[in-house]
Amino acid sequence: MDDLIIEATTSTPRIAFRAGTGALTIEGESYPDNTVVFFTPALEWLKAYLSGGGPAVLTLNLAYMNTSSVKFMLDILEMLEETHGAGGSARVIWNYDPENERALDMALEFQEDLTLPFEILPLD
Amino acid sequence: MMQLAQLKEALSGQGVMISFTGAFHHSIIEELGKAVRHYLESDAAAMTSMMDVFSVYIEQAQNVRQYTNAMEDDAVAHSGIVVIGKQEGRYVVSSGNLVVREDGEALVRRIDELKGLDRQALRKAYKTQMKAPRAEGSDAAGLGLIDMARKASAPLACNLDPQENGYSFFTLQVEI
Repeated sequence: MDDLIIEATTSTPRIAFRAGTGALTIEGESYPDNTVVFFTPALEWLKAYLSGGGPAVLTLNLAYMNTSSVKFMLDILEMLEETHGAGGSARVIWNYDPENERALDMALEFQEDLTLPFEILPLD
Repeated sequence: MMQLAQLKEALSGQGVMISFTGAFHHSIIEELGKAVRHYLESDAAAMTSMMDVFSVYIEQAQNVRQYTNAMEDDAVAHSGIVVIGKQEGRYVVSSGNLVVREDGEALVRRIDELKGLDRQALRKAYKTQMKAPRAEGSDAAGLGLIDMARKASAPLACNLDPQENGYSFFTLQVEI
């Protein structure tokens, strides 16, 4: 399948999902005008990719997400959690700016309800 | 002549630094958001405070946009206002728009429910709401209200002012 690359805008993050390696990145800030319209391609791509059984490493760096985006991020993480639960390889790396406590809070809150490998790393 | 000096004075008098009223296009929300960040940076706010004020601003502005956009009545569509400023050393973000009276009453009820919750309870409510199935309308504002309540330094304050034609003017104020 093709890679999914969506460039960042002021209010939407960069999405780069690579089918060859399963390297998935989402970085920037997320407060789209229409969250459903923005995240649906990513969710559909991920569903198709994970059904092929490939490994997935999701690397995130999100300085801000509005609450609508939080719900979609949960959907994405739950898809990876399901893959992990079924014996597949899926993990999350959450990078954050150490001066942005809220980014850390958000990462911790997602992490606590998931069992898949989930690292939270401060960036220099 | 429009009395702008007085208008400006009325806003400054309430500690308002940034204000917008009109149709809430997404591009406006983005640009005002940049202005909010510049204001906070020049006010030497800590990054965490800045992110909290910014996020409360975004949630309120997007709620106003979503609601007023869905209404066909022009009066409602252009009724939105958002202000950001400072009162007694705390940042304040307030917004308002016309709502159908019942919608306003439902909002006031939700906000009342949140008032009695402490940090732990708000966190729990957030987690529950986060996992709830996605729904349109008032539910869309649900997680946003809880998020704002968590970031606020005082309980959310709101006001519902009855207008004509079954509408009320709903105002929300969040102190950070």
